[in-house]
Amino acid sequence: MRPPLARLELRNVSKTYADASQPVEVLHGISLTAEAGSITALVGRSGCGKTTLLNLAGAMDFPTTGEVLIDGRSTASLNDRELTALRRTRVGFVFQFFQLLPTLTVLENVELPLLLAGAAKPAETARDRLRWVELEDKAASLPHQLSGGQMQRVAIARALAHSPDILIADEPTGNLDTASGDQVLDLLRDAARNFGSTVLIATHSAEAASIAGTRVQLRDGRIQSIDRA
Amino acid sequence: MKLLRSLILRPLRRDPLRTALTILSVALGIAVIVAIDLAGDAATGSFRASMETLAGKTDLEILANGGIDEPWIGALDALPVRATFSPVMEGQAVVDGAGPIPFYGVDLVAAALEAPEPGGSQTVTATVSGRRQELKPARLVHSDSGDILVADIAAAQQALGRFGKLDRIDVTIGHGEDLARVEQAIRAMLPPAYLVERPGVRSDENQRMLRAFRWNLRVLGYISLVVGAFLIYNTISISVVRRRGEIGVLRALGAGRAAVLGLFLAEALLLGVAGAALGIALGRLLAGVTVRTISETVNALYTTSRPTPVELTWSEAWMGLLTGAVVALASAFAPAREAMMVAPVEAMGRGAHEHRARLRWRRGLVWAGLFAAAALAASQARPLDGYPVGGYVAALFSIGAAAFAAPALVLAANYFTRAVTRRRVAALLAGRSLTASLSRSSVVVAALATAIAMMASVGIMVGSFRETVALWLDVQLRADFYVRTSARSAAGQFPALADGAVAALQFIPGVAAVDAFHGTELHFRGERSTLGSGNLEIVRRYGRLRFIAGENRDAILRSLPGRDRAIISEPFALRNSIHAGDRLTIPIGAHTVVLTVAGIYYDYSSSQGYVILDNSTLLRYLPNQPATNAAVYLAPGADRAVVLRALRLRTAAYGVSVAPNSELRRASIEIFDRTFAITWALEAVAILVAMLGAANSLLALVLDRRRELGLLRYLGASAAQIRGMILTEAAFLGLLAAILGLALGGALSLLLVFVVNKQSFGWTIQFHPPRELLAGALALVWCVTVLAGLYPARVASRLNPIDVIHEE
Repeated sequence: MRPPLARLELRNVSKTYADASQPVEVLHGISLTAEAGSITALVGRSGCGKTTLLNLAGAMDFPTTGEVLIDGRSTASLNDRELTALRRTRVGFVFQFFQLLPTLTVLENVELPLLLAGAAKPAETARDRLRWVELEDKAASLPHQLSGGQMQRVAIARALAHSPDILIADEPTGNLDTASGDQVLDLLRDAARNFGSTVLIATHSAEAASIAGTRVQLRDGRIQSIDRA
Repeated sequence: MKLLRSLILRPLRRDPLRTALTILSVALGIAVIVAIDLAGDAATGSFRASMETLAGKTDLEILANGGIDEPWIGALDALPVRATFSPVMEGQAVVDGAGPIPFYGVDLVAAALEAPEPGGSQTVTATVSGRRQELKPARLVHSDSGDILVADIAAAQQALGRFGKLDRIDVTIGHGEDLARVEQAIRAMLPPAYLVERPGVRSDENQRMLRAFRWNLRVLGYISLVVGAFLIYNTISISVVRRRGEIGVLRALGAGRAAVLGLFLAEALLLGVAGAALGIALGRLLAGVTVRTISETVNALYTTSRPTPVELTWSEAWMGLLTGAVVALASAFAPAREAMMVAPVEAMGRGAHEHRARLRWRRGLVWAGLFAAAALAASQARPLDGYPVGGYVAALFSIGAAAFAAPALVLAANYFTRAVTRRRVAALLAGRSLTASLSRSSVVVAALATAIAMMASVGIMVGSFRETVALWLDVQLRADFYVRTSARSAAGQFPALADGAVAALQFIPGVAAVDAFHGTELHFRGERSTLGSGNLEIVRRYGRLRFIAGENRDAILRSLPGRDRAIISEPFALRNSIHAGDRLTIPIGAHTVVLTVAGIYYDYSSSQGYVILDNSTLLRYLPNQPATNAAVYLAPGADRAVVLRALRLRTAAYGVSVAPNSELRRASIEIFDRTFAITWALEAVAILVAMLGAANSLLALVLDRRRELGLLRYLGASAAQIRGMILTEAAFLGLLAAILGLALGGALSLLLVFVVNKQSFGWTIQFHPPRELLAGALALVWCVTVLAGLYPARVASRLNPIDVIHEE
């Protein structure tokens, strides 16, 4: 039976990187909760800690102090096998620079997480996701044959391939024109609605932040404000 | 200089393992070349040394095929010229405590009168021509090039069983005497068949005799360097691709194209020179190990030589450095030129570069076709000054063709395996990754394939040759027993059987026929071969001598007795461009004999070749020529063991060994295997270099694709999956290289067997590829390639995905 939809919680999280000369504190005392099916936008200048926070939320990294809880379980307590399983089944990532593999076709790119997870009927699921982002006709194309907006839509289809509980998007419109950016934002909104995913977006853009129910303003690694729509 | 430091040296230091692997690849290539040269020099360096150190400077040498009649020395002494004539006999002796050493007969009495030796002459007990003998007067001389046994000329003649004959007369011109006048006087007096030569002619003959052997060995040594060159090309290509952005910035800041070219050539030069320096030191060490093997081969196949100490001279060291530098610069030129062409505004990433490489595969195939055609054309060329230059040029063109075909092969393999690889994510990603980095993966495939091809081709050549020799031995060694002196003799030595030994073999119950063979050195057209004679009627009746196609064995052998006719071995015929029916003028003793070539027979025992007469002909010109070995044929139904016992008993006093043909066959195959041992060692080094290259390139691929690998971790790949993917990639590389290597190896083996070997040594080799050996070797190479992927796989699985994904 599928576990209940995720509830992402950061409790008093700090992250410090050990530099050669002195430690650098990137995040300080962050506490945040994201409900299932909600969209949360992290807003702030470059270097304010948005990406670090996303990595902590996606269990790609671990806090120096504090806890990141997914379904009430601390990510730091998971072993490597459990972390891999978590990424395969419950977390999806979308990046600013799309990060599609240039030698795989669009369909194969979307299939990739399913293949890595050893899922059944990966091609069918991948096709379904492509249909969802309205790019089924591009299934056999290679990434370089697509526009930036199309590539990001493929990246979203890939992130949603395994119907993740948490969808993490790092500057998803940062590299797109306005029209393409709007399309991508619509898809993220639909992802939260249709897949019930908890969406966490890091962005500079006011438009991107506008789709979020919760906007978290970060400054120098600290939460400056939290606005709820 | 600053640019070099920041753009080239710093990245090299940042990747110490890859830098070390590249340097080591070059080092191994150079080491092999240096080792082969040094060991070759040391193994053959002792020809000239012995007598020169003993007798001092000689101005002329008088030689004759079959020896000089002794009375001529008295006649020469009477010539009205100021010159000294010193008779010389040569052979080999075994002295207690000193082992087998050169044995010379000189006029000790005259020498003692001129310069009395402290302690005078002594009696030395030595084994000469298989018999233990007391030589008096004689003495053991210690020279830089090793010990020499010197006996008085008469004692030497007796010991060697060559009464009334001299091997050589050394002529030393007196002060103020005119060399040309002396030479003219000598020629006027001696029979025209005698050869009057400037000193060193024998050494030159030896060097000429060995040149094909050494040249081929050297070429084999260059294999590793060719493989190394691929790797330098690869390293610099990677360097260029990685620093494309930096190049653009540099160009935008005003750096000229020449500066960019210079930077990357400097990187290659650095790697080349560092590798060469290490290689020279390594080569010196390797030479010490290989000199003995080469020396054994030279002794077994060519002539007597004793290894001298390995000496690394400055000129050889410079040559090694220069070779390393030139190979590095040549192999780096293409990628460095590419770097030079990067436009300042060009923000071309790897993807575009690789995409362009993918689009070029058709052009690559066209080039491959052109190179293959050029290889075919070059293989038809005649040898140049005795060297199979065309064959080697064809081999280089073939390697080039394979290199150009490599990208198409990688793409084709990926295309045709799509359906299979799609089912396994590691295979899918590995296959695609190889095409994604086509410009590099195809170079690795080409480098590995070259090493595999060399291994396969030399394996096929040696295997075919071995099989041919084994079949030939079965045919050739038809006699039941072979008798020769028990002295260990090298190729080119003809120790005489003791007087009466051949007679003792006759009339033993069960013996049907005894064929006494008379062998002697033949100086012919500046090279040394063997002049021999046997009872060709016995050979006709009992033997199975095979003549080249279309020749009638019986008719040929019947036509020889009592007539000036000869049969010659295939290598002799090819070396001297002689055909059946040609007339051959050969000085034999004091006679100049015109022989008609009755036929050409297959022989694999000497690349120098044989001229064989019937005993009745040879003994007419050299009446006292001693027999050097004998073949004994048994009567039907005779008991081999009983006859062997009787033969040994009857010949016990003559210092001979009687061996059944099986023993001789085994010994011949052992010599064959020993001869090619060094070939296998060279092959192993080439494969090792290719393995280092595979590891190096896989590591480069990993580092270059680290963002992609990081992404896979984000998408849920486990560390084990990443490791599996890199190992699968290594396995793909190995498999593609094996396919291409085998195809190239097949082509190269044809060149080796039918062009290089034929033109170098004159042997016709039947094509017998050793399938099991090849399959085993390929499997081994494939496994090692996969192993070479272990470290890169480990590096890949330990990359921090966060660091690499946000590197943009």
